[in-house]
This record gives sequence, C-alpha cells and structure tokens, in this order.
Amino acid sequence: MTLEFSHSDDFTMGVELELMILSTHDWNLIRGAGDLLALIEKEKHAGDIKPEITESMIEISTGVHTDYREMLVELTAIRDTVVGNARRLNLAIAGGGAHPFQHWSEQRIFPKERFFHLHEMYGYLAKQFTVFGQHIHVGASSGDDAIYLLHMMSRYIPHFIALSASSPFFQGMDTAFDSSRLNNINAFPLSGTMPFVADWSEFNGYFDTMRDLKVVESMKDFYWDIRPKPEFGTIEIRVCDTPLTIEKAAALAAYAQALARHLMLDRPRKPTLDVYRVYSFNRFTACRYGLEAGFIDAGSRTRRTLKEDILETLPLLVPHAQALGSVDALEVIRRSVDSGVNDASWLRAERASGQTLNDVVRRQSHLWFAGEAAVAEASAK
Amino acid sequence: MDDIGFLPSFPLVAGNTMLVGAILLCGLAAGQVFVRVFRLPRITGFVAAGLLLGPGVLGILDQSILGDLSIFVDISLGLILFELGRRLDFRWLTHDRWLLASSVAESLLSFLFVYGTLRLFDIAPIYAGTAAAIAMATSPAVVIMIVHDQRAKGPLTERLLALTALNNVFAFLLIALLFGFVHLEYRANWPRTLLHPLYLIVGSAGLGFVAFIVARTLGRWLGKREDLQFGMLLGVIVGTVGCAISFKLSVLLALLAFGVFVKNLDRMHDVTAVEFGPSGQFFMVMLFVITGAGLRPAELAAAGAVGAAFVLTRMAGKLAGIGLFAPLSGITRRKAMLLGTGMVPMSAIAVVMVQGASALYPEFGAGLSSIVLSAVVILELVGPLATQWALRRAGEAEPLPRGNA
Repeated sequence: MTLEFSHSDDFTMGVELELMILSTHDWNLIRGAGDLLALIEKEKHAGDIKPEITESMIEISTGVHTDYREMLVELTAIRDTVVGNARRLNLAIAGGGAHPFQHWSEQRIFPKERFFHLHEMYGYLAKQFTVFGQHIHVGASSGDDAIYLLHMMSRYIPHFIALSASSPFFQGMDTAFDSSRLNNINAFPLSGTMPFVADWSEFNGYFDTMRDLKVVESMKDFYWDIRPKPEFGTIEIRVCDTPLTIEKAAALAAYAQALARHLMLDRPRKPTLDVYRVYSFNRFTACRYGLEAGFIDAGSRTRRTLKEDILETLPLLVPHAQALGSVDALEVIRRSVDSGVNDASWLRAERASGQTLNDVVRRQSHLWFAGEAAVAEASAK
Repeated sequence: MDDIGFLPSFPLVAGNTMLVGAILLCGLAAGQVFVRVFRLPRITGFVAAGLLLGPGVLGILDQSILGDLSIFVDISLGLILFELGRRLDFRWLTHDRWLLASSVAESLLSFLFVYGTLRLFDIAPIYAGTAAAIAMATSPAVVIMIVHDQRAKGPLTERLLALTALNNVFAFLLIALLFGFVHLEYRANWPRTLLHPLYLIVGSAGLGFVAFIVARTLGRWLGKREDLQFGMLLGVIVGTVGCAISFKLSVLLALLAFGVFVKNLDRMHDVTAVEFGPSGQFFMVMLFVITGAGLRPAELAAAGAVGAAFVLTRMAGKLAGIGLFAPLSGITRRKAMLLGTGMVPMSAIAVVMVQGASALYPEFGAGLSSIVLSAVVILELVGPLATQWALRRAGEAEPLPRGNA
C-alpha cells in the first residue's frame, strides 16, 4: 500500500498553534481544556479548536490560505473566540513554547484513546510533552515537489527555531536556551529528520519498510522537524515554539511561504546530504543562542551568525513576498532580527526587571490577547 | 524540703503551650484515622477530635481554655478569608454576568427556603431571618481546606471559591442589616438601629482597604521576594484581625475585603502570590479542632426536626439556585449539581457574628443559637465530605496515589 500525496495548490499555507490554559489566580497551567472546549463547541467559530495531549493545552488551527492578511484575520477571530470563552470561565490563554514553572508530573492526560496510548507508550515523556509548538503547513503540488521542498527547507530550520524561540524558562529555571522545548522532543525515538530520499516513490519504499518492521503505524508516528503530510498535500514545519502573539505566528508562516516560493521557482541549489551533516549542530546552536547563534552554511562551507544568514535571505524573498502580498510579514521578521529581540529575550527581560515567573506568565497572557501593538508599546518604554 | 524546690509540684498544671501541642497531635492523629479507616476527609477527623476533647464529651478543653486559644482561630480565619478574597476577581464578574446571577440566586433561594421552613416551625421572624441569613454563607474554612487537601485545580474549583466569597459577603451584609431590626426589636433608639450596621459595613471594608494600602506599600518596598512577602502578609493579616476585634468590626468582612482589594486593585502587582502551604497547616488543624470543641452534640438531639429541616432546605436552595443559573455560565448541568454540592459546608464564622449580637442581647443570642447550632453540628461533619466528593467527581482533585485514600 502506497501513501497517496494529495495535490495542493502551490504556496498555500496553514498553521496550528498549541496554547497554554492558565489559572488567573497563580498563572500556573490549569486543567481547563474540557470545560473550555465544551463552551466553544456551543458557538459557530472560525478555524478548528481541539484538545491536545494534556488537559492544560488546547490546539487551534487555521484553514488553507494563500493570503497572509486573510490568515491573520482568521487567527484573530479564533483567538478572540478562545480568549472570550476562557474569560467566562476565569481562565487565561497564552502563547510561548513552554510554561515557565509548571511541573510536568502535575499534568494530566486528556481523556482520549490516542493520548492514553501515547502515555502508555512513552511514560513520563508524554507528560513532559506539555510544551507548546507552532506547526506551519506549506502546500506542494506533488509528492516529488514535497520531498524536494522538504530537503531544501531543512537548511532554514534554524531560522524558524531562532525566530520563534519562546521557551527560555522550564520547570522554574532559566535553561540558558532560547528554545528549551525542542530538547523535550529530542527524547522521542522517531524525532530528528527524514532520511535523505530522492523522491516520493523512494519515500514510500522507506515508509513501507518501517511499517512492515512495525516501527510505525502511520505518518503520525514520525516526530520529525519537518515531515510530509500526504493527506493535506503539504510539508509541515514543526520546530517553532508557539510565539507570544498571533502576528508573529502569521509572519512566520508567511516567511515559510515566501521561502517555499523562492526555493521552488528560483531553484537556487540542489538538495545535498551536506545540509544534514551540519543539521544537528545548527539546530542546537539555534536553540541555545537564538538569533546570535553560529550557523554553518553547508553550501559555501562558511560560518556566520544566524542573524546574518536571515538578513542575507530576506532580500531573496522580497520579490516573492511582493507576489504573495506578504511584504508586511517580512517586515515583522526583519524588525525582530534587526533589534535582536525574539520572544525568548522578551521573556528574559521581563524576568530581569524584577518580576516573578508568575508575573511573567501574566504578562505573556496579556500579550497574547493584546497582540503585537503591545510589544511595540512595551519596547518603546 | 526547700532542697527540692526545683522540681515541679504535683499535680502538674497543664500550660496552654502543652495543650496546643496535644491538640495538634490529637487532631493530626484523628485526621489520619478518618482518612485511613473511614476514608473520610481529614477535616472531619479534626472536628471529631475537637468534639471528643471539648466540653460536650470529655471536657479536657473547657470553655476558659477555648477562650485562651481563640487567638489561633482568629489567625486561621484571617489567613483563610484573605485567601478567599483573593479568589474573587471582579473582571470575571464582568465577563460572565451569569456568575453573579447564580450567586445571587443560590444565596436568595437558600435564604428564602430556610426562612420559610423556620416560619413553618413557628419561629419568630427576627430569629428565622437571622438564621436564614447565616444559612446563605458557605464555610470558607472548609472549602479552602478541602481544595488544598485535594490539591484541586480547575474551573469548578475556581467557581466554587468565587461563589463562596460572594455568598459570605451577601450573608454578612444581610446579617448586619438584620442587626438593625434586632435593635428595633429590643426597642433601641433609631441612631443605634441605623449606625450599627453602617459602622460594621463601612468600618470593616475600610479596615480591609487600609490593610491593602499597608501591604502594597510594604510589598513595593520589599520587592518581589516570596519569602519576605510571606512574613509581611502574615503580619498584616494578623494585625488586621486584631484591629477588627479591637474596633468591634467584622473579622470576616475586613479580611475578605483585604483579599478582594489585593486581587482587584493591586494594578502594579506589588503584592506577590503567596502560598501559605505547610505552615498554614498548623493553623488549620487548630481551627478545626477548636471549632469541633465548640460544638454541642446535645444540641443535635434537642433541635431534631428543625435542624434536619434547616439543613435539607438550605441544600435545596443552593442546588436550585446553582442548578438554574450556572448552566447559563456555560457549565454542564452535571457540573452545576456538583458545584451546588460543593457549597454545602456551612460557615461557623457566621455564628461568630451572631455572638456579637448575643453580647448585646443575650436572650436573642441564646434563641438563635438553639436554632442554628444543630445545623452547624451536622454540616461541620457532613460538609467537608460533600465538598470533597464534588471536587473528586468533577475530576479536579488530585488522583489518589495507589493503595492510599
């Protein structure tokens, strides 16, 4: 049995965001998913809103978009639905890749067959999986295009890690990482990267072998940083922490979209295994140091900072962003890189200003509600 | 003989310190027995230990000792009411207007049901009214303690705490107003009738506000250090309790108001979230044992039918009010019923308020006590169980560790 890759229109995109459900009393995670979802189900709303593995998490996802602004409009509507209903229950919602001080052992598995199965299989790793990520889908017209795009996109994975990083604190401590969340994912046996297959039929051969050996049952069992999603006809980038605002989330999706258009139309390079030889190193430094990380460009065999690499990439994307109508999104990315401020540094600055971690979460939650305007206002002060 | 003057003389005089130690140990032991043997909440064990040691049964803790130990009760109540006040978020009331509606409904219905029932038993309106007002309040001590004990977290727990804070405020306001009628009943002059309720309400809320300003100022000065703020808050809480007593104000309203102001007016969040945790444990054990010692099992038999009717109609009022309105807040009818059940524990604090009236008019106090106290006995024992059951069924309590209750 082969996996059919559904056709998607080129450069379509969609995002999924995992969000924290918080108590407004102490700003710890709270088991509110059941009540919140029950309330949300009663009304007609944009997007899709679902439970996640533990009861303090909720996942929102958009439909398929080509236009970045339309996506932002939908994300705004979903956010308002979730926040509005959460308020009726005196719960708060926030972005961010990890809750700064929750204890993993206090989390409870959301009562659903698949989640119980995962808990049974992975033990404490399942509860430690109470971390919050953004998944970006980019459409590809065929399986072969998807495999090409995926290999080419791997070079840029550190960009996404550093730009989205928002999990510096974990279990009450500063981890020294900008994104501590990805360290949790490394522990899973099928994490990492897709093997270096040449096209969709070779991928199918690999998948069949893994399934015959009973290592996996479906594509869902691969926790790769980027994986093909044949049912949707997309590739799915899974390394991003959930940003602190939807504006940032939409901008990251638009960045991926413009990058995909550049890679598909300009065909700057051929996929090479060299990218994967330096992959783990680049990924680690991006998690650890964020935008200031060292980056090894496998193509030119040179070292630079990640910041420099993003600033060199942006001009290549401008014509594509113009064609797609997402120039504003690239501006959001450029501002972040120019100022050297990502969400992780925002969180650290809040903590350093004498706030407790509870206060940091409260402000994080306020930011999720108030959006990017509040960030600009805060940094202006 | 003077040579052995350094030895204690017999029989030994049990000092209060020794008693406090004994109370703590007895309470803890009874708590564990109740958990392990009967699978009941620890609190019920504390209360039972008090009942056993108190004047009602063994008489080890007599009335004068209980008077000496009342400082522990005051401090414990201060901690509890402050914490409860911090759970009342005005923003929540504006985001979910049905929350306030369901609180008013359950308070009003439990008042009306109890009042009607007591009138059927031919109890005079002023007594029936005050007793029904007492019936409105859910016990903050039991609810907070069970929530801590069960490590309960979740939307139902939040709602339970907010509704408890609200119905205590309503009960207090109503009782304060009824004091006016009590004065009238005893032919006091008009100024007294009007000024006493006013003094209680405005004075207590004002004291809470002063406490808030002091805590915020000190909090800002100390910085966000949880260890430092812990001591500061404890100091302000105990000081406020003392002031409330000295000024003949309400400990309940003053401390509740203090908590509410900190939650809603501390815009810069200068006062940090402090958990009283394990050190609070000491006060809780003392509180419940002493409460138990204050109960009179004899009352139970004496009141009989009135007491039982009081308890049942009160519960019906709470369940009806919550059952009718809480689903409009978006919670399921099942959860609404659990929420109503969680609110069953009755506040012994209200009884303390009534003692204020007894001091002025002993006859009135005695009359009221005979009606209310039997219900207090029943609900002190059954209430914790009801709340614990509700939180567990709602799935918001910590799951039980294997092989332990």
